[in-house]
Amino acid sequence: MPYIKLNNIQHSYKEKTVFQDLILGFQANQISCLLGDSGCGKTTLLRLIAGLEIPQAGEIIIGNKTVTQNHSILVPPHRRNTGFIFQDLALWPHFTVYKNIAFGLEARKEKHIKDTVFEALHTFGLQEFAEKYPHQLSGGQKQLVALARSMVLKPEILLMDEPLSGLDVKRKRKIIDLIKNLKQSRFSGNDLTIIYVTHDHREAFAIADNIVVLADGKVQEAGSVEQIKNAKNEYVKYFLEY
Amino acid sequence: MGRKLIRHPLYVLTMTAFVFFVVTPLIYTLAKTFFVEDSFINNVRLLDKELFFLLAKSIILASVIALFSTITGTGLALLLYKTNIRFRSFFKIALLLPLFIPPYILAVAWKDAFFVFFNDTSLISSYFGVILVLTTVFTPLSMLITGSALSNIDSQLEDACLLISDYRSLIFKIILPLIRPAIITSFVLVFLFSISEFSVPAFLGVNVFTTEIFTQFSAFYNHSLAMLQSTLLILICILLLFSEKRYIADAPFLSMGSKGAGNSCYDMKKGKILGLLFLPGWFSLSVLVPFTTLFVQSFADGTTRFIQAFELLVPAFVTSIGLAFAGAVLIVLTGFSAAYYQSHSRQGKVINFLLLIMFAIPSTVYGISLIQFYNHPVFRFIYSSYAILLIGYTGKFSFIAAKLTGNAIKQIPNSFDEAAQIAGISSSMRKRKILIPLIMQSLFAAFVISFIFSLGELGTSIMLYPPGTEMMPVKVFTIMANAPQSLVSAMTMIVLSITLLIITAFYFMMKPFTKKYRYALHKT
Repeated sequence: MPYIKLNNIQHSYKEKTVFQDLILGFQANQISCLLGDSGCGKTTLLRLIAGLEIPQAGEIIIGNKTVTQNHSILVPPHRRNTGFIFQDLALWPHFTVYKNIAFGLEARKEKHIKDTVFEALHTFGLQEFAEKYPHQLSGGQKQLVALARSMVLKPEILLMDEPLSGLDVKRKRKIIDLIKNLKQSRFSGNDLTIIYVTHDHREAFAIADNIVVLADGKVQEAGSVEQIKNAKNEYVKYFLEY
Repeated sequence: MGRKLIRHPLYVLTMTAFVFFVVTPLIYTLAKTFFVEDSFINNVRLLDKELFFLLAKSIILASVIALFSTITGTGLALLLYKTNIRFRSFFKIALLLPLFIPPYILAVAWKDAFFVFFNDTSLISSYFGVILVLTTVFTPLSMLITGSALSNIDSQLEDACLLISDYRSLIFKIILPLIRPAIITSFVLVFLFSISEFSVPAFLGVNVFTTEIFTQFSAFYNHSLAMLQSTLLILICILLLFSEKRYIADAPFLSMGSKGAGNSCYDMKKGKILGLLFLPGWFSLSVLVPFTTLFVQSFADGTTRFIQAFELLVPAFVTSIGLAFAGAVLIVLTGFSAAYYQSHSRQGKVINFLLLIMFAIPSTVYGISLIQFYNHPVFRFIYSSYAILLIGYTGKFSFIAAKLTGNAIKQIPNSFDEAAQIAGISSSMRKRKILIPLIMQSLFAAFVISFIFSLGELGTSIMLYPPGTEMMPVKVFTIMANAPQSLVSAMTMIVLSITLLIITAFYFMMKPFTKKYRYALHKT
């Protein structure tokens, strides 16, 4: 039984149809990769799950709760317990690293904020950057801040939109290992479903438990890494060649 | 989106207030002219041949000023934004000075200059004088618009041209066509400002359409004719804006901290000396000569005139500065609300265009609209108080504040707000902690510009100031007819000094402000 279910999703931007009756599910506590070319609807899918966009029709169910149904949001984004790593990371440039991580906790009026933030800084190896501003960090360090900022709120779902684009291979490797171990982090509470968007199949193979290949808003193939590697679908074969 | 806005009653309230208090008087005046005030046919008969001749002269005058300002401004922008000419950082700021000084100060200064150099002011008190003064006033605006467009050109486009052709082709075949929208925007805006300008022709004693409207309304009390003339000018402005609204309404020139990707600068070879002469030459013409002679003339009769001028202006200081401050606060609030509304609602474009219309309409004409609308028992509390002046300033300058803050909002990625939204941060907290700090520099700049413009605004003030109120520009203007030139110069010099003092004070206030929010301009 999938943890996140998308039933008959229809979505379009002005005249461009992105999804037409899309049916898709994501298993709990797994890393699922959405793989596909630019413009195939990967980011839109993440935004629909997060509640940042409303589909024209269809429903989205998280756990046992319907969060979106028939063009209306039943559960707003901040009540879905999701974390979102944006493609541009969206670190607030006027906040320090500490403040970027603490801001969400402050809004939720959590206790022991300072301790929690320092623990997150330690977990993600950012202790020495607490007072730095985002523009003073390297690309890899920014990714870690974005991860720490999301994880500190203990999300059940982590949505990641091409978070490693622009990083060199060494840093990619390091962060992929970190993402794979996120479930073991104290912040996840052993309950973390990750949906990871990428257009790089090597990245997907390295990180995913399951892969969904999307093209033109349609699921071309879905399955484990091995199943995708051996897929018969022409598009998937063509996509994996490069 | 519409549902979201209901959650922000402040924006809806501000915009509703803007439409009611600022825009309705204009619609009321137009409607009254066409449908109520006698019959339209009867009124049209009031427009005689001489009046149309005056209108034609005003249009030609405005076209010449727009042409000269755009050519000079584009030339200066090319030198300052596309070459590595020396002292360009200094000139980029110094040449903007006339834009932030009330235009009538330059008119008085140039009158002094002609008196000092030629012992005759008849040449400056003519169409030539209006062209000279207004070209020096509006060239910086043109420079700002085209300069902004130049710094946004992708350097790769220029490199691609230089691989196959020379610098001449680069300028005429690539750069100028690419900044054509900015050149058109500059021409149209300067034309609109010139045809709307009241203070300079009034100070130089030159009859143009705006001064004619003022005379008919204030001297001859011929309100029907003044309203009809106003309507004619409003229609010209609106028609022109409609034709070019695509370029002007979305003009990106009023923004802070936006720089084009990979802007290239070129080494001047043959034209180096010419360029080095042009920049200080224009600086002398637009800043040094007028202001130096104004200073000299202020003390022509010793310090007596200066003291007299000071005594005359003292009662106007507090009122003028207080009103400019209150006006700037209202303008920034309206501008921010409009910009926010525009970024969150389709109707925002309508508001943006309304702001543009109010900005472009001559201040005397707008003043008449406000008088016509508020001169009723119901609105007497507005008509007979400072409120009418504040409404006037808000209508005139909110466009600038809306553009500055709107362009700043556009530069902030949506993901900043969405990241906070997902983290559970409330909408009002997102505004206070994310949006406003990130656009704080632009809000502050909008406040400073609105304050300076409100302080120097003559057209609106002279039409609307309540009886018994003393205001600096009005005081200088009213005293000019009967006072010796040295007294007028001394008064103008004091107003100029106060304006420069305030600009300097704001500059130093802005420094720690900029430091505090400097991270806001960094892209992560």
